[in-house]
Formats: sequence, structure tokens, C-alpha cells
Amino acid sequence: MSAIVSVENVSKTYHLGKTEVPALRGVSLEIHAGEFLAVAGPSGSGKTTLLNLIGCVDTPTAGVVRVDGKDTSVLSERALTDLRLRRIGFIFQSFNLVPVLSVFQNVEFPLLLQGGLTRGERQRRVGELLQAVGLSDHARHRPSELSGGQRQRVAVARALVGRPRLVLADEPTANLDSTTGATIIDLMRDMNERDQTTFLFSTHDQKVMAHAHAVVRIADGQLQARETLQAAS
Amino acid sequence: MLLVDLQIASRNLLQHTRRNLFLAGALAATTALLVLLNGLVDGMKASLMESATTLMTGHVNVGGFYKVTSGTAAPLVTDYRKVLAETRKHVPELDYTTVRVRGYAKAVSEKSSMDLVLGGVEVEHEPGLHRVLQITAGRLDDLAQPGTLLLFEDQARRLEVKVGDVLTLSAPTTRGQSNTADVRVVAVARSVGLMSSFSAFLPAVTLRKLYNLREGNTGAIHLYLKDPSKAPEVAARLRDALAQAGWRVMDADPQPYWMKLFQKIPSEDWTGQKLDMTTWEDEMSFLSWIFSAVRVLSAILVFVLMVIVVVGILNTLAIAIRERTREIGTLRAIGMQRRKVRWLLLLEAGLLGAAGAGAGAVGALAIAALLNRAHIAVPASVEMFLMQQHLHLQTAPGRAFGYAAVLALVTTVASLLPATWAARLKPVTAMHHIG
Repeated sequence: MSAIVSVENVSKTYHLGKTEVPALRGVSLEIHAGEFLAVAGPSGSGKTTLLNLIGCVDTPTAGVVRVDGKDTSVLSERALTDLRLRRIGFIFQSFNLVPVLSVFQNVEFPLLLQGGLTRGERQRRVGELLQAVGLSDHARHRPSELSGGQRQRVAVARALVGRPRLVLADEPTANLDSTTGATIIDLMRDMNERDQTTFLFSTHDQKVMAHAHAVVRIADGQLQARETLQAAS
Repeated sequence: MLLVDLQIASRNLLQHTRRNLFLAGALAATTALLVLLNGLVDGMKASLMESATTLMTGHVNVGGFYKVTSGTAAPLVTDYRKVLAETRKHVPELDYTTVRVRGYAKAVSEKSSMDLVLGGVEVEHEPGLHRVLQITAGRLDDLAQPGTLLLFEDQARRLEVKVGDVLTLSAPTTRGQSNTADVRVVAVARSVGLMSSFSAFLPAVTLRKLYNLREGNTGAIHLYLKDPSKAPEVAARLRDALAQAGWRVMDADPQPYWMKLFQKIPSEDWTGQKLDMTTWEDEMSFLSWIFSAVRVLSAILVFVLMVIVVVGILNTLAIAIRERTREIGTLRAIGMQRRKVRWLLLLEAGLLGAAGAGAGAVGALAIAALLNRAHIAVPASVEMFLMQQHLHLQTAPGRAFGYAAVLALVTTVASLLPATWAARLKPVTAMHHIG
């Protein structure tokens, strides 16, 4: 399998006033197309920083991050934004939906940014995804009218609608109860199996990790181990 | 996409109704003030033009001065029929012409006296007078009889005369003596603004007799155009044409004839006839300071209000961006380019500006229509300043919405700074912002 993400000896240091805070220290990792991979570790271990670097919303202090074969350090801001739009889907811990748009419009939004599809094609694709996440009846609702689980399902649909090669989910179940969280993970897993979309999600919940093909353990900004499902459980 | 953009912008505006209503209200008030103040100035100008072009001047005047010696001058066009014939050849825009004898005199009644600027008219050839003057006593056509006079209501009140009463006119001549004539008031007209406070009419033949003028001489030929805005162009054309035809023509000088008569002409070293072409705005230029003053005051007022609005826009958008930093970060993360973020915020400000300024324009047009309909009498103390007896605001919807568009544009441009700042937010910073 080819590597869709390649992280080579990446470090990231934040500056808090005069203090330097190392978030990642010499991390190397390869993620292959079609994987359903969890990043596990305690709070402050560097999970979110790793996801941010792979998601091209932040840049490393040292090292190389390649996404879909492209070295992100040499891409312009515009090219990075385009890479995020066309190759990466995001699912956030706090859902991060646009509050003034309906469920349908939130899911459709990345397609509008991408352009190139007719209105009918967009409607068909959004409709299919809403059906897949079980929200066809809520298409006209605003995010504020939905439960947390429903909002995260909208976020999953939004992340997938542009048919990205990679979906990054930062603690997607952290704000949900365990049953709803499990439903979301199952949904992501279904999408992974259905479309072979690569998923990388961070969690510190053992039950959530159990759904992954493999778990990457991280602590103090360093990669500890990469375990297969059997080893992780 | 535009529809979704509009939806995002409008719904974001509606989410903070009170804050945005306040800002839109300020914009509406500024626009309304701008429209109303300009309506007032345009109304003043329209009133002035109406009264001036009825009482004192044509849209274009072919006047002139005759100097017997270099130190004395009279406002005269000699052998005016030739001048008129030549003039007609060069003015296809002409609607009609009138010929006026010019003069000034002290009018003395049994109880009072006042100075009057006299217009010697052939009333049967004065369609403007028939159209504009509202006769409240007597008959306008009686002015065709020699030895008669038309006064305006304010003058009649001041002189304490009525139709049928006789006045004595005492007119100083260039030779230093005063000629007198008795005239009978045959008509009193409703006052038409500032000009009617000192203008009066009598038959041209009577005024010629008062000044001992020949029948072929007059004060000025008034030209009325189908489109008054062409006046400067026509005056310039006539200046060249009459000079080429052999008349001595004065250089363009935007002053009323009486200022030239008293200040400029006597000091010039020439004798005989010189023609002088002026427009109605030249003849009324001594009043232009009033328009300038109102416009400057309006500009200062609107500028101050605009500064307040711009500061308000900057502040409101800064708050809005702070509140929506996480949302902006999310949009950037999922692939929205910086320029698109900027566009969304500019659209939001533009919509707010258009709604506020548009409402202000509509409100101002409605207020102007109501004020005009109410026919409010202008207090005598400010009548001269406003040049109107009844408040009249001349507002055009196209112009009002033009002002609204300019204010909406200013609002949008003012939002460029915060919008650019928002667009430059790093997605990761924005996403983790706790606002």
C-alpha cells in the first residue's frame, strides 16, 4: 500500500512568552491509504499537534510532512488551503458547524468551495451522505436544533462530501456520551470500509481505540509504538 | 455560491439584531441627512432659478454697457433688434426671448418709500411672467398700458399701496440728475422669493421714457432655453459669434450686470457700446455664498457622522470577528481561501451598509415628500437665506439612492481592514480560539 501521509522526524515547538514548549519531538510516521488509525495518548501528549501538522493547518518547526505525496513545507498558503479542500476532511471535537447554515448547507459547503459540480450533482451527493449518516429528515434543521451526536454526524458527512483521501478527526467522541460516541466511530468505520477513505483520529478512550485497525501511541511529544488492533486491545 | 454567501452574511447580521440595528440606524440617519440637506440646497437653487429667471434674468442674457464718457456707464444694448436677429441664428436651443429695459429707482408712495430694481417689459411678449406670477390683485395685462407698475405683495405692504394707487419713481441718470415719473399700480403679485423683495415691473416704454432712451435701445435680451443646463455653452458660443459679426464683446466675467455697472465698467478706459453675455448663474453669483455655506456645513456634518459610522463599523466587525474566530478557523481549515473569508465579511458589511443607507434614502424621500406637501411657511427671518417662502426640498430618487450607494461603499471599504485581518488568521489559531 502507498503512504498517503508521511511524517519524517517532525518537531514542533510553541513559544509561550519566553518559554519554549516542545509539542512534538522527532516524530516519524507513515499512514497508508485505506487505514483506520487511532492516535492515542494522554492530554498534552501532542496528538492534536500531530493532526494539525498532517491536516496542513499548522507547520512543523523541523522535519517533513508529506500529504498525498506533497511536501507541505514548500507549498504556498493558497496551495495548502487547496490541498485541505480537495484531499483532507476534518471532524472536530466541538463539531464546528456553521451555525447560520442548515444541515444540508453545512454538508454542501465544501462542494461549493470546490466548485465544478452542478446543483443536481451536489444535491444527490449531499442527499446520499445525509441518508448514510441517518439525517435525511433533518436536512433543513440548523445545528442548534440538533443533539451533539447528530451534529457530529453532520460533521462526518461534511468531512466526507468532498471525497477526500484522508479524514482527520480530533477527539471526535470527546463531547459525546459513550453510546453516541460508539455510533460515530461505527459510522466512520463504515465510511472507511465503504469508500476506502483513510481515517486518522485521536482519542484517549480505550473503547474507541478498539475500533481502529491500528493505534499509534504518543507521549511527551514522541511516538511510543504503533500497535495493531489485537495488540492494542 | 453567491446565494449561500448572502445567506451567511444576512443571517450573521440578523443574529446580532440590536447591535446591527443601531449601526444601520446611524447609517440611515447619515444618509437621510445627506439627502435632505442636498434636497434643501437644490430646492433653494430651483426656487432661485425660478424667481431669478422670471424676474431678473434669462437663462442667457445678451446685455451690455454704453459709455458716453469713460467714467459713466449705462446698462444698454443699442439697436437691439440687430443683435437679436444675429443671436437667433446661433441659438437653435432657444425656446423664446424677451427684451427688458434695465433700471433702478426709488419708489415713493404717500406713506413710504423703497429702492426698486426695475424691469421694463412688453408684457404681451413675456410668457414667463404669465406662467409664474400669481396675481393677487389687479390684472397683469394692464401692464401693457404706459405709466403703470406691477408690485409684489411684500412691496405693496411696505409702500402701503394697493391697485389704483399712484407712486412716484425717482431714477438717477448717468448725467447726475434724477428723472421722475408717476406710475399707477395695476397689479400686485404673490411674492416669489428673495428676488421679488426688490424687483418690480413697468412697461418698457415707460422705463425708456424715464431714462430718455430711444425706442431701439434696451437693457438686455433675455434668452430662455429648452434646456437651461446649456446656458454656459450658449453664452460662450454667442460671445464668439457676436464678436465675429462685428460687435465689441466683453470677456466672460461671472458677475451680475449691476456689480459691473457700479464697480468695473466705470474704471475701464473705453467709450461706446460693448456687449456682455451672461448666464442666470452669473447674474445670481452674488448669492452663491449661501449655497457654498450650506454645502460646506452639510459636508462637515456628514463627514463627522461618517467618521462615527466608520468607527462603529470597525468596532462592530472587530467584535463580530472575535466572536466568530473559531468559525472562521473552521472555514479556513475545510478549505476556504483567505480572499473568500475577506469577501464574506465585506459582503456582510456591504449588506449592512446597503440596508441602512437604503432605508435612510427611502426615509429621506418620504420626509421630503411630507414636508413639501405640508407647504410649511418659512419664517421671515430665514426667508432670505433659504430663498423660499415655503419650504421646498428638491429630491430625486436616483440621486438619493446614489448617496446611499456611496455610503454603502464607504461602509464596505471601512470593513476592508478587519476583514483582511480576519482572513489572515491562521486556521489553527482560529480553531482553538476561545471567544
